[in-house]
Amino acid sequence: MAKFKSKEGFAYKPGDIIFYIFDYLIFGIFTLSCFFPFYYLFITTISSNDAVNKGLVRFYPIGIQFQNYIDIVNRSEVLTAFLVTIARTILATALMVFASALVGYLVTKKEMWHRTFIYRFIFITMYFNAGLIPWYMNMSMLGLTNNFLAYIIPGIVAPYNIILVKTYVESIPAELEESAQMDGAGFMTVFLRIIWPLSKPILATIAIFGAVGNWNSFTDSLMLMQQSQNLRTLQHLLYNYLTMSTSLNENSSSAAFEAARSVVAMKNTVSMVSIIPILMVYPFMMKYFEKGIMLGAVKG
Amino acid sequence: MADNSKEQSGVREEDVTIKTYTEVSSDLANDLSAAKNAGKTKDYTKEKHDEKAYPNKFTQVTYWVMRVVAFLMLFLTLFPATNPAYVTKLIPQNTSILAIVSSYTRLTQNCTRAFNKGYITEASFKTLYTGSWVYIIALVLIVAGVIVLSLGNSKFKRLGAAVTLGGGALSIVSLLIMKSVVDGFNNTANLPEKSANWIEKNVGAALPSGWYMLLAFAIAIIVLQLIAFAMLLKMPCATVFEMEPKFQLFLLILPFAFLALVFSYLPLWGWRYAFFDYESGDGELTKDMFVGLKWFKFLFQNEATKANLANVMKNTLGLSFIGISTSWLPMVFAIFLSEIHNSHFKRIVQIFTTIPNFISWVLVYSIAFILFSADGLINSLMGTSTMFLMSTSHLWLKMWAWGTWKGLGWSAIIYISAISGIDQQLYEAATVDGAGRFQKMWHVTLPGLLPTFIVLLVMSIAGILSNGMDQYLVFSNASTIDKLNVLDLYVYKLVFDGNGLIPLSTVIGMAKSIISIILLFIANTASKAIRGSGII
Repeated sequence: MAKFKSKEGFAYKPGDIIFYIFDYLIFGIFTLSCFFPFYYLFITTISSNDAVNKGLVRFYPIGIQFQNYIDIVNRSEVLTAFLVTIARTILATALMVFASALVGYLVTKKEMWHRTFIYRFIFITMYFNAGLIPWYMNMSMLGLTNNFLAYIIPGIVAPYNIILVKTYVESIPAELEESAQMDGAGFMTVFLRIIWPLSKPILATIAIFGAVGNWNSFTDSLMLMQQSQNLRTLQHLLYNYLTMSTSLNENSSSAAFEAARSVVAMKNTVSMVSIIPILMVYPFMMKYFEKGIMLGAVKG
Repeated sequence: MADNSKEQSGVREEDVTIKTYTEVSSDLANDLSAAKNAGKTKDYTKEKHDEKAYPNKFTQVTYWVMRVVAFLMLFLTLFPATNPAYVTKLIPQNTSILAIVSSYTRLTQNCTRAFNKGYITEASFKTLYTGSWVYIIALVLIVAGVIVLSLGNSKFKRLGAAVTLGGGALSIVSLLIMKSVVDGFNNTANLPEKSANWIEKNVGAALPSGWYMLLAFAIAIIVLQLIAFAMLLKMPCATVFEMEPKFQLFLLILPFAFLALVFSYLPLWGWRYAFFDYESGDGELTKDMFVGLKWFKFLFQNEATKANLANVMKNTLGLSFIGISTSWLPMVFAIFLSEIHNSHFKRIVQIFTTIPNFISWVLVYSIAFILFSADGLINSLMGTSTMFLMSTSHLWLKMWAWGTWKGLGWSAIIYISAISGIDQQLYEAATVDGAGRFQKMWHVTLPGLLPTFIVLLVMSIAGILSNGMDQYLVFSNASTIDKLNVLDLYVYKLVFDGNGLIPLSTVIGMAKSIISIILLFIANTASKAIRGSGII
């Protein structure tokens, strides 16, 4: 057993070795189960569709081609959905981050007129919810059905994110702000020149989570954009393809079978395309993982 | 000051030093007072003096009345019932003035045929659309003048008065534009007979009650502001625009509070649908649709609904229970991951196990589909064609497995950071006392994680009725819906799946919201009792 030594030079006991084998094995299997589906999805999109349909593609791509990706770029509905989703993600996230930062700063100012009331008025909205139908009727009343603004405006005030910013702003030394005010800076100047740059870590965090949330959301598109094909998000489009291929799959007629085949390739490619941006922002997310961002919020 | 001293320095030499000294000290005093003025400790005595220029309580009341009226005007733009531009039946029902200005296509969606046949001219609708825009601009001016500028000093107040009066005049112009559209529709004398008949039957042009109400409000604002303006003109006016910081802060946060009002509080107004017989396309609620508690009783009397709801509750609670009873898994994941000392391996595990949390349920289903559908990977490997996604066996466990696959790695992060916060000395002490690996986990790590675990557990119990509908919407199909129909999905399907049962769906949503709030308070009290601090 002399071969197995820890860094400190202690020899491992047989029990330890068995423990480590199991520990590594279990985590290895789980990690593989999280990685493999994405890999498999990717190889099906770049393999020849024939091989995929015959069930030959299993662990490596066969007959590599990129026609699927060229095909979806040429499909106007995919391109439109893609642009809508990008526009929505950027605009909604930018406004949400700006609003969260500003409101998070403002609620720390004790001298605000009726501060307690406004503070409670905004934050109590985290804990109640009128329900799906009243929400829908409200959106319809405001003219936000079949309207792009429905993706942007309702999400501007996000109480949970405001709390995250507020907690962070409270940790910024008050002297910085006071010295700026001594120099005659107003609240907006203090906000833009001091609070905004200093809160960048927390703002980056809420921006990333906001962007991922916007990118992934599809129920709002599903309910609000029923009559506007051009305002559907990518996820909504994907959902339509999926329900289509599911129902075709159930159907045993050969025509339906062929139709299902063509939808499958498109569905997989759109899936892959909508995963790629998330993988792209992923390295940025990793930075904030172990900072205990959630911890402060749930008062652990 | 400096110039003065120089002029005088020419006269008497010995004065120079003295003057310079005075100059320096007075400069210093100037600097100090400037700093004082510019800084936080700004002297608002001048302002106070301005405010004292209003000893008149009447003027203060005038301002408050104007603010309330202006806010009401702003708030009423959100409601279809008070839409001043709803002048004809051709405008889609349930349309507020805000909805009109947001989309011209929506405004004219019912008129395509009438335009084509030439029964009515498109010009009338364009005028109406323009009038609505003018009204919105006028409203912005009124709100800016009455709510924003009137909080400043007397100079701000004067500007505010001018802006408000302009806005008031503009709003009356816009209301008159709407009236001209109505008159245009009603004046059918010169039109061809066919058009006149059509208009008589289909247009029904009349000024809505909202028009009269807003006209009264606009006139009230103008009259009150004229009174306030007259008072203002009698008083001395400040030389610069100034506003107290407390009002500046208030005005900065006001738009966001308004957004919260519109998107979080206003939906509660939709609870009224629970008391009416309403179907989509019915337009505004009217008194004869009122049915009292019919739908509440329906819930308990209609056998089919009762059976459905029993099944839905079984699914909701069953799936929640499986989730809650395994909520310790992320904690165990974190504990065992922290036993691994190879940092590269650890990092890879963390990267890949957290990715699924960031993809939508649609994508999860897409992945499930390529793996488990009749010609998916699993079937291709086993040479079978089992329809895993259609089968109802162990369905709840499968749903739990997908949820765990998606969320486990992410949920563990909070525990991983909590473990890094545990005092290393505790482990060393335990080692000295002869504790083994599992004893250390049990007696040191676990107690360190328990507070976090309890908070999350209590919160998940409070959310027991909210499974979310995304997962079950995408995974359910004709054969599995009975076992996956959770409350959120049921409420959705009652309306959007062709049933259109708006009141019933509202009743169930209401009950869910109220029960959830009660559960949250119970959870909060429990948390206070257990750990001494609440979760909200």
